[in-house]
Amino acid sequence: MQNTNHKVLVANRGEIAIRIMQACQKLGLGFVCVYTAEDSASGHVRMAKEHGGEKSLYRVSSYQDANELLAVADESGATAIHPGYGFFAEDYRFARRVTQRENKLIFIGPSWRIIRELGDKINTKRLARSLEVPTVPGSDRPVYDELEAEKIARQLFEFQEEQGIRRPMVLVKASAGGGGMGIEEVYDIDLFKSVYRRIRSYSLRQFSDEGVLIEQRIKDFNHLEVQIVSDRTGKNPVHFGTRNCSIQSTGLQKRLEIAPGFDPSSINYTFDAQKVLDDITEYSLAMARKVGYDNVGTWEWIVTRDGRPFLMEVNTRIQVENGVSAMISRVNGKAGVDLIAEQIRVGLGEPLGYSQENITFDGVGIEYRLIAENPEMKFTPWVGRIEDFGWDKHDWLQMHSHVPTDVAYDIPTEFDPNLALAIIWGKDLSEVKVHGKEFLNELRLTGQNQGGESLKSNVNFLRTKTDEILKF
Amino acid sequence: MDTEKRTQHLTERLTYIKDIFGDKQQENIRLLETKLEEFIQRENGLSVEDKFAALSTLEDLFGFVERNLENELTAMDKVRIVRHSQRICLRDILENVYDNYTEIGGKDENSIDPSMLIARAYITRRSGKRVYHQPVMVIGQEKGHGEEFRNGGSVKPWGNAKALHYMRVAETENIPVHTFVFTPGSFPVEDAPGAAQQIAKNLYEMAALSVPVVAVFSEGGSGGAEAIGLADSRLMLSHGYYSVISPEGAAAIEGRVRGGDRAGAELVEKCAHQLKITADDNVRMGYIDHKIQEPALGARPYHYEFFRSLRQEVIRATDEVVLNVKGFSPFRAMALRRRKGKSIEDLDLENIHVRWSLSRKARARLIAKRHAKFNKLSKSAFIDRRPIHRRVAAWFVEKGWDTYSYFKYDLWRSHQKKLMYAVEEVDAEARVLMDKVKGPWKKITKAIPANTSKADKEKELTMLSQWDEEDQGKGQWSYISPRAKEDRAITCPNAETHGCQDLWAPDLFGEYAGVCNSCGHHFPMEYQWYMHNIFDPGSIFEFNTEVESANPLGFEGFDLKLEQAKNKTGLKSSCTTFEARINNVKVVVATLIAPFRGGTVGAAEGEKFVQAAERAKKKRFPFISYVHGTAGIRIQEGVNGVIQMPRCTMAVRRYIDAGGLYLVLYDTNSYAGPLASFLGCSPYQFAIRSSNIGFAGPGVIKETTGMDIPPDYHRAQKALSRGHIQGIWDRRDARHNLSQALMTMGGRNLYYR
Amino acid sequence: MLDISKLLEEIKASPYEELVITAPHTGVVSFGSIKVGDRVIGATGTWGEIPGTPLATLQRERNDKIIRATQKGVVEKIHTELEGTFVEAGTELVRLRHFLSKDEVLGIILKKALYLFEAPERAKYYFAPDIDSKIKSSGSQSVTVHDGMELFIMSRMKREAPLNYSGPDGVIYAVYFQHNENIDSGAPLIGVCPPDQLSLIEDVVVRVQTEWTEQE
Ligand SMILES: [Zn+2]
Repeated sequence: MQNTNHKVLVANRGEIAIRIMQACQKLGLGFVCVYTAEDSASGHVRMAKEHGGEKSLYRVSSYQDANELLAVADESGATAIHPGYGFFAEDYRFARRVTQRENKLIFIGPSWRIIRELGDKINTKRLARSLEVPTVPGSDRPVYDELEAEKIARQLFEFQEEQGIRRPMVLVKASAGGGGMGIEEVYDIDLFKSVYRRIRSYSLRQFSDEGVLIEQRIKDFNHLEVQIVSDRTGKNPVHFGTRNCSIQSTGLQKRLEIAPGFDPSSINYTFDAQKVLDDITEYSLAMARKVGYDNVGTWEWIVTRDGRPFLMEVNTRIQVENGVSAMISRVNGKAGVDLIAEQIRVGLGEPLGYSQENITFDGVGIEYRLIAENPEMKFTPWVGRIEDFGWDKHDWLQMHSHVPTDVAYDIPTEFDPNLALAIIWGKDLSEVKVHGKEFLNELRLTGQNQGGESLKSNVNFLRTKTDEILKF
Repeated sequence: MDTEKRTQHLTERLTYIKDIFGDKQQENIRLLETKLEEFIQRENGLSVEDKFAALSTLEDLFGFVERNLENELTAMDKVRIVRHSQRICLRDILENVYDNYTEIGGKDENSIDPSMLIARAYITRRSGKRVYHQPVMVIGQEKGHGEEFRNGGSVKPWGNAKALHYMRVAETENIPVHTFVFTPGSFPVEDAPGAAQQIAKNLYEMAALSVPVVAVFSEGGSGGAEAIGLADSRLMLSHGYYSVISPEGAAAIEGRVRGGDRAGAELVEKCAHQLKITADDNVRMGYIDHKIQEPALGARPYHYEFFRSLRQEVIRATDEVVLNVKGFSPFRAMALRRRKGKSIEDLDLENIHVRWSLSRKARARLIAKRHAKFNKLSKSAFIDRRPIHRRVAAWFVEKGWDTYSYFKYDLWRSHQKKLMYAVEEVDAEARVLMDKVKGPWKKITKAIPANTSKADKEKELTMLSQWDEEDQGKGQWSYISPRAKEDRAITCPNAETHGCQDLWAPDLFGEYAGVCNSCGHHFPMEYQWYMHNIFDPGSIFEFNTEVESANPLGFEGFDLKLEQAKNKTGLKSSCTTFEARINNVKVVVATLIAPFRGGTVGAAEGEKFVQAAERAKKKRFPFISYVHGTAGIRIQEGVNGVIQMPRCTMAVRRYIDAGGLYLVLYDTNSYAGPLASFLGCSPYQFAIRSSNIGFAGPGVIKETTGMDIPPDYHRAQKALSRGHIQGIWDRRDARHNLSQALMTMGGRNLYYR
Repeated sequence: MLDISKLLEEIKASPYEELVITAPHTGVVSFGSIKVGDRVIGATGTWGEIPGTPLATLQRERNDKIIRATQKGVVEKIHTELEGTFVEAGTELVRLRHFLSKDEVLGIILKKALYLFEAPERAKYYFAPDIDSKIKSSGSQSVTVHDGMELFIMSRMKREAPLNYSGPDGVIYAVYFQHNENIDSGAPLIGVCPPDQLSLIEDVVVRVQTEWTEQE
């Protein structure tokens, strides 16, 4: 990092806050953290206390109040804001305010216009269609009118029937939502109306917007992603490979991610898997070039069993699963890629410094999301106290967690009950599976809640699913 | 009369004088007091004859002093006279002016509103040997000599509704209406039908009431007076007042008095003088046709002579109105004419007979005359900087439009309609025929699956529309508030109840258009926002910019205030009138702009409004009143302002009767006179969510009624619940909704239909 | 049966509580003119339209927010050392000694008299949309609840779940949760008054109204 005269406000909590602070340390940058009363025992607070300098930790009323973050930024002398993921990561108004206020700060993420254009799923869909990038059939603008919604749903049912789909299904989702929240499936057109109304009122409550999208849900598919990185010039985006995020909870939430997206070297697919991977990275880069994408971002894809990819959406932020791509990536042959550090570096205006030819890939990575939840009960979150949490160190393992391993920890109810991200590397698919299981077997994770019920986690779920990874 | 009663009577006269003059005229009062006292002291010792003689002397002295004091009366003294419980009231008039009457719909407190009195009465006249009973509908406020339930003549909305109802009855019965204005102002409650909205309805209906209306003003308090004051002949008692606001109210505003405090007596006196509220003032300015002389210090129930002359005056006024619209009756008209040196008693009115019922044609003339009468008023109360040749040219252009409109819309349209009708008929016939022919074929084609449909459907579902530049423009407004340039956060007033976070001013006043993104609270926006974001870009063409607000009463200090307002806003009056387009539909718009003297309406604003309505009528454009905000009638213009209530309402009436669509859109705070007339009379009133709509503000309500009102009393939602407005719009949808309204509402003669 | 007299006596024994006013969010604080010993009042007026006594001003992003007393009381401590400094959210600013008002005493006693429906888990709670609109328009007492009725939405970890009421039928006499506020498991959400208890409750109201004198 050439200019280290920066201080980054970490506008997030938990694991990502820690990752951002670590990246800042690596780059020689100052940082400042925020936390809420509920979160005072979180690891990110501890790290800020231990490693932050002057004015590096502030208690705020909410992570989701931009005024709090900016007041702290000014008070602490921050020069840039890293939004992490969630919260303000994809809020173009926040990014705009950060960069347009009188005391201008750098928003470590894409420019606000790009967030706005691509944050709008509809707009993205239209941009994609203009570049002849395939997208999922359905409405390409938020629907506010019940009759119109029903008409589109009907059309989608007919379309699927004509395609020979045995059990057609339509997906109703809040236009302003994302990340699996506010989405429901409808198998019966007669039930559509009530689902539509439910989603609409959910959307109104959560996002103050009644817009609803109606799409075809492609049932039998794999969920792939392309990791894009580009510097502020917006002219030379590169990709850091693909990921497969098909293993999800019943709430359509990701639970484990694998890089790369397919493994044609060890698995036989009914379609040309390598071509699909090449196509989606090419499509993604084409779109990034078209809009002048200027930070990290993820293009999310659906790949059907017959090998047809459809663009789902673009996430204009660093994602939870960035580490698994970094794990298998090599820049100029070197391991130890840190996409968050890269994001901060290009975010602060440094040129990327390498191009696609300098990026190579080695082996297979798995990311496990360790979550206190009950997979047998529709993945309902478990809330309580974690009493013992620990793992054995390996050179093929990276752990990211805000949960302290030396003291007990109460899971706050305000946020998702994510405990840790475990990233496993293996030189090939079979080795990574072995490593993964080894890790899960060695993991210590126990606790109790007020009712005396012992901790529920998704470890078993992850273990079982490890056998199935990258199979289609 | 026995001595006791006469003494009592003198005591009352003394109290009356004291009440009227207060601290003033101490010497005269003391004189009368001592003399009366002396008489009472020695009364018992006197013989009956001496008592009578002493009393007569005393009565003469009272009369002498009263006549002297009469010349000293100030405007404020007259206000006190009018408000005095000894002043004649409507029932005295019914007893003494009319030959017989029946009160309609109420007895004392058992009435829907005891402060509004309705009576069917008649006047008996002789012509030769014949006797005529001429029925009239008498309508007026009853102050009832201070009876509490009369509410001081402050009429509730339903009282005004009752008045309107019986005006309509009079119309059906083809009898004249005599109204008697005895009100300090309307009772400012919003309960349905609503103070302002009901007055507006009254004005709107009276604008085309097809029977003669004669109004007699004793106490003409602003909007309350107008509710029954729109008349063909407007008479005024010499000791009455007719004003835009009570002198105390004006003083409170002038002196910037807040809360329960009161302005000093001196300031009140000064305001009363400056507002030009007396009968002489109003006759001079043309707002009153004729003054009726009262006895010294004002008429009281024992002034029987006065009632006789009042009777003559109302008869003559009614006769004049009728004869002016009847065909040929020169002799009777001549007999009625006012001449110098001739008093009304010299006319033998009782023996002239004029039929007061009117033919259909005479009714039409009556209304036309009424409109012409009001249209002429207040023409010199504003500045018109248009050079003469432009005014003449404008007149010709307007006449030209008349002819053009006739050819374009009436003549051509009626032919076109016939043609369209024919085409539609043929088309419908043809369709039935085609269906019969095509029926079997359709069945066959349906059975064969179309081979193109699948690809089409996929295309439709995956390629619905293209990403284009138009999509980049969302969240962008043509006009951005200057407040959007400030880097600061703003707290939503609903933050506590709705959990709204502070909003960043550039977001709030820019992209959000002043709407809280969490709870939808509407912050007030500048009028320019609407000008630029509602109408098609670049389509605004302003007219009559040279008409300027003035200071017609020479109200002290007002020239400066007016100058400041003009400099601050760059406007010449609070009313801007322009032509514009909404989705290519041409409209005429009159706005009231809050930053210019609170959006108050005076003669210039009224004139611009009237001309805009005329223009819309001639061009057959929809007419929109966009009310950015108005605090009411401009008090510093006095009756020059108040008269805009009937004037503008009549212009609206002409426009609507000519087949136009009149839409009102409220934005921030709209109160008082304008609402109680030319705004409130629209059948299509909409409000942006930021609006407060009402007759009087919370302070005035507290002062006049003693009631505490809830903070949301005037909110648009309440107005909608009460039925005062027809809908509430989100600011961001205003353009779309207005466009939609133009397509779906009212008006048979709009060119685009 | 509820011994109202005894409860009232208990409360009369210690008729005040300490109120700690904290910074609702970050910002630069200034205390204006209040002094220790000043009497302050909460919002007054028929509709609470007259704001309470200002205690401090918190400026954040150039927006001055006045922090006002929400209850009647006497200023006990002012953290004047914070004047002009940037404070974190939750920092103690002012401490008040607050005398219980009639409404509060009533609230305390009602909590014992009403059937309390408790939060099953720590979460944010909302009324179901149709109930919410009814309460907003005509007050909570317009809502009659019955066992098994879908009454709440429980929002936790960004997940929403419907929550059914269980308990005796009756009207919602008191609401104990606020918008966007986390409620601990076991804390009461609403107080329900069964029809047969209505006279008892009204008795409580009358007793408190007559027997509790508010201290100035
Ligand atoms: Zn709000």
